[in-house]
Amino acid sequence: MGTPEVTTAVAKRTPPKPFYFNTSAHLLRITEYAANTLSELLDALRQCPEDSVFQHTFRTLQEHHFLREGFSNDFAHWALASCNEPKLAEALASVDVREFTSVAELRQRLVEVMENALRDDPRAGGKIGEERFYFCASDIVVIPTTFKAQTIYEFAEGLRRVSLHSIHHHFIEARLRLKLMSNDFSQWLHEDMGLTETARALNRVDIYTATLEDVRRQIVRVVERALT
Amino acid sequence: MEPVSPQVEAGTPRAAETSTPQGVPTRPERRGAPRSWETPPEPVAPPHLQDYQSIVGEAMLEELRFLARGVKGKTMRMVNSTAVGGGVAEMLNRLVPLLGEVEVPTHWDVITGGNDFFEVTKAFHNALHGSNYELTRHAQEIFLTYNGQNRQRMQFTEDMVVIHDPQPAALIRARQDGSAKWVWRCHIDLSNPNPQVWGFLRPFIEQFDASIFSSQSFARQLSNPQYLFYPCIDPLSEKNKELEDSFVQKVCDEFGVDRSRPILTQVSRFDRLKDPVGVVQAFKLAKKYVDCQLVLAGGGASDDPEGAIVLKEVQEAANNDPDIIILDLPPWCALEINALQRASTLVVQKSIKEGFGLTVTEALWKRRPTIAGAVGGIPNQVINKLTGMLVHSVEGCAYQIRYLLTHPEFAAQLGINGSEHVRENFLITSNVRRWLLLLQILCSRG
Repeated sequence: MGTPEVTTAVAKRTPPKPFYFNTSAHLLRITEYAANTLSELLDALRQCPEDSVFQHTFRTLQEHHFLREGFSNDFAHWALASCNEPKLAEALASVDVREFTSVAELRQRLVEVMENALRDDPRAGGKIGEERFYFCASDIVVIPTTFKAQTIYEFAEGLRRVSLHSIHHHFIEARLRLKLMSNDFSQWLHEDMGLTETARALNRVDIYTATLEDVRRQIVRVVERALT
Repeated sequence: MEPVSPQVEAGTPRAAETSTPQGVPTRPERRGAPRSWETPPEPVAPPHLQDYQSIVGEAMLEELRFLARGVKGKTMRMVNSTAVGGGVAEMLNRLVPLLGEVEVPTHWDVITGGNDFFEVTKAFHNALHGSNYELTRHAQEIFLTYNGQNRQRMQFTEDMVVIHDPQPAALIRARQDGSAKWVWRCHIDLSNPNPQVWGFLRPFIEQFDASIFSSQSFARQLSNPQYLFYPCIDPLSEKNKELEDSFVQKVCDEFGVDRSRPILTQVSRFDRLKDPVGVVQAFKLAKKYVDCQLVLAGGGASDDPEGAIVLKEVQEAANNDPDIIILDLPPWCALEINALQRASTLVVQKSIKEGFGLTVTEALWKRRPTIAGAVGGIPNQVINKLTGMLVHSVEGCAYQIRYLLTHPEFAAQLGINGSEHVRENFLITSNVRRWLLLLQILCSRG
């Protein structure tokens, strides 16, 4: 945290509204959809509820936040680990959830990737996976934390101290709520603190090549830079 | 169970090798049976929620307290079939006090029944795992009669009633019209049940407001919502708590395990489904290329006739290899198991069929690089090449032993990832959160 002596103009700014750190807790449900083959996976992907697509993309990143590489979404993981289809797995893994502001668009993109792959290699569609893929979904409860920021210092302190679930809630899931290619932190920094460059810099933090703890550190560094 | 005599077999001679090649460490001499084998230790008081702060962080505890405030005034009742022994009772012993501590009073009841009832429910249990079984009208009557007696004896005034496993499932008939929610918590694998027994139980199960399974692959299609609650371990239990290295060393010395050389360990009952003979075969294949010892630490050989047969098969497969240490431990040796897991270079769980596989969870939590069969709930825990290695054969297991022993940095990263996976998903605090969430979600549905 910056020292109190470094009272820059930024540090003195008071936002019109504080930033309230929340988090979310999820309870996993097992849905009726399952797949033994890639063709079945594609069919189920078209029909399953949106919260199931959310679970296997956005949410799985939170569940596996400690992995630095090799994990993007459950569909890609299953295509590789159970069906041994590395090309399709790569294509699915390259679908970045941060490019989507709705689950419907994300689902459409995943379906397109699978349709293209199975059109190019129809044989792959019938291959039976080593394990079945079960579509899950989650019931979500949003939980307030005790952290609230009315200055940039308090914001940085909150970032350091909240749970990784809270970081995921504000930084990754937020775009589905905001319907913007952004996140709660950037929105507040831009709209309430006038720190547009800092807000933009946060959107360049890579969530797929770092653990969520690394992501937190990078966010804190970007925010601290605004103070110097 | 009577304490078993500490007959550590196979692998004999256990005494120090008298002539070792220069530079090869001498095996520590076994010093006889540890005291813990003979006497069960005094029970330890369960921990308080705050004791988990250093493990899961204050933010997690705050989440639990917030969720608990959201269901303030609500109460729960858990009903199962045994107060001691078995994973369900062990879990409830820890869970119930923690729920009480966050002011969600939780009452725990155990159903009663005669030998005939428990014989029927044991047969049901095996049949639901896929065994052949002819369901008779008499067996159904016994099941329903004892459930009826328990229904008369118990009062269900709580906001949520949780029935564990099939034995008390017919208690659902006690359900009154009202706001109480009834939940069936199934701890067994229902992926391939005997159709007669499942056909008999299913109408009861579908009367519950929700069902809970331990893995996606264990569930059945049902008309009620199905939730996924992973089984969990308690990081502060004797089996999992941090240990002083001096204690780990002492246990290794007592069992004749040489910590200066790589140690592979499988902890499990002497049961063919755990494939201990396959582990010995994989070890022997791997040992042609890498120096290592194998510890097979289990139990069940003294009170289970089949366990004794399997133990003998393992001893024969070991063929007096001094680097194979076979330990038939009584059930109260949690600290010793903990120490052996912590001393291990690699942990193996080469099961052919498995429930959730909590021994895998324990190994991952202790940051042990783990090689495990891709069965049951193990793939939920071992994400191949990320949190451990999944194998399908003796040869595959042998290869992964060689690979991990010769790539210690990769093995260490698996251990780190595995431990974080457990912290996120498979600790008791995660299950407290799941119960609080379920209570909130079901009760909010009116």
